[in-house]
Amino acid sequence: MASEMESSLEASFMSSGAVSGASGFLPPARSRIFKIIVIGDSNVGKTCLTYRFCAGRFPDRTEATIGVDFRERAVEIDGERIKIQLWDTAGQERFRKSMVQHYYRNVHAVVFVYDMTNMASFHSLPSWIEECKQHLLANDIPRILVGNKCDLRSAIQVPTDLAQKFADTHSMPLFETSAKNPNDNDHVEAIFMTLAHKLKSHKPLMLSQPPDNGIILKPEPKPAMTCWC
Amino acid sequence: MALRSAQGDGPTSSRWDGGSEKADFNTKKKKKVAEIYQALNSEPTDVAALRRMAISEGGLLNDDIRRKVWPKLLNINTNDPPPISGKNLRQLSKDYQQVLLDVRRSLRRFPPGMPDEQREGLQEELIDIILLILERNPQLHYYQGYHDIVVTFLLVVGERLATSLVEKLSTHHLRDFMDPTMDNTKHILNYLMPIIDQVNPELHDFMQSAEVGTIFALSWLITWFGHVLSDFRHVVRLYDFFLACHPLMPIYFAAVIVLYREQEVLECDCDMASVHHLLSQIPQDLPYETLISRAGDLFVQFPPSELAREAAAQQQAERTAASTFKDFELASAQQRPDMVLRQRFQGLLRSEDRTKDVLTKPRTNRFVKLAVMGLTVALGAAALAVVKSALEWAPKFQLQLFP
Repeated sequence: MASEMESSLEASFMSSGAVSGASGFLPPARSRIFKIIVIGDSNVGKTCLTYRFCAGRFPDRTEATIGVDFRERAVEIDGERIKIQLWDTAGQERFRKSMVQHYYRNVHAVVFVYDMTNMASFHSLPSWIEECKQHLLANDIPRILVGNKCDLRSAIQVPTDLAQKFADTHSMPLFETSAKNPNDNDHVEAIFMTLAHKLKSHKPLMLSQPPDNGIILKPEPKPAMTCWC
Repeated sequence: MALRSAQGDGPTSSRWDGGSEKADFNTKKKKKVAEIYQALNSEPTDVAALRRMAISEGGLLNDDIRRKVWPKLLNINTNDPPPISGKNLRQLSKDYQQVLLDVRRSLRRFPPGMPDEQREGLQEELIDIILLILERNPQLHYYQGYHDIVVTFLLVVGERLATSLVEKLSTHHLRDFMDPTMDNTKHILNYLMPIIDQVNPELHDFMQSAEVGTIFALSWLITWFGHVLSDFRHVVRLYDFFLACHPLMPIYFAAVIVLYREQEVLECDCDMASVHHLLSQIPQDLPYETLISRAGDLFVQFPPSELAREAAAQQQAERTAASTFKDFELASAQQRPDMVLRQRFQGLLRSEDRTKDVLTKPRTNRFVKLAVMGLTVALGAAALAVVKSALEWAPKFQLQLFP
């Protein structure tokens, strides 16, 4: 597995041909870094989503994440080289209570993930949002909501309108996607790239500081209404 | 740096790791097998000797021996009937869903060539073992990674014996990981940086300025490296070592790995992401025997009792200390002294004479010492929670033997 899962950093640099924007070379030392934490219940697909974005494909086999895993990819946005760091966290509640908090430090954005085929994972979202509030000093940090596994159409338990209502209540854009279905590859890509664009356009120079103007990510193209499956 | 430079002068480093002197290797192996069986067959079983064998070069050598020796190291009587439950635990257990998710995803733990059907059968057994232990010990809480430990025992000793062994292990070595919260686990992780600091302050300071934290070592600690090592032979070799030693030994081993990678770490960008990423990718070709031996050295040189204050200071720095020390007391109150182990304590004292001649050889000295320290835990400290024992554990017994 070490070679399978943990090679995403390398893969992100090697897959430059396949994945638009990824660099074939090591980024210059001064490229900006966007640090994004990915949270949600166990087995909703956090590891697969981050792996899909960083390595450009669905991992063959994933295991439970213990603690915090880290994946990274260099992208180019409007001519600027930017490193996107994804912090993939353990889903089991006991880990987040005393373990994960260290990794909320200096986070630029939060991705909440639920499993569209598992209503319980959707019902857990309020506690994840609350948890996140406690750890993040600035509450205007961009947050997005991602419903994963939309390729399993017959098993969907969380209807889009319900999720959209929830997302609106919490001023988050909603994305429904699948880390697995190859046709959705661009969409996982698009989700993180949209987020990166947001961060880039709203973050001036000092990334370690929270933005001074309250950012509310309005869902621009109403992504959820057109499920990308 | 001390560790790196010391690497060259250990003539033992490659002997068991596929060294060139094949004949010598075979001779030594045969000799060790004979010694292990002698210890197994002596009356009473020479557990101290078995501990030394489990620690020393090559460990317990093969799974046949492990099936016989692991129960001895945990003081399990293999003739006792295995624990069973008449209840439908899959319906009753609150942990079933989580266990199921984790076990289903643990394909990589099984030998690559194993037929799916056989693997699926073992996965079912794995779920049953975990649920049974949790049901019998309501004070224990399941954590993701526990399944990585249980599967190792299942693959080596089979379902029946694995249940007994893991149950014992869960109430002793793994006890702190199975608290309602992970505060005690975090406390054990707090030993990591003080150990590194003792050996290599420069590396320690670099890691502190990077604010890398210790979570990169979390899966190492709570799965005894079962989650991160792909070669099963390495996993069971480490299990030999850890079963024979103090419950905090895995954190010493984690420190030794970090120290071994000193150059890589120092060449890395000094930020959390870079260092975390580097360290969490564990190299698969580590010189295990050398590192085991170093971990043992470090343990003897800087026993937990000496590091306890610093580790506690780290905890306090993180503002979580207040409740933790109460938790230790609570945890230790849940443990009970084990009379059988106490009886064996007498046996060990008798075996003191036997170990004395070995003591004259400097290399073996450490194994004896470690084995005794491990046994001390099984005798006395095992009656306490590990963290408790790590805080208060004065190796008095060891001092008597090694003035």
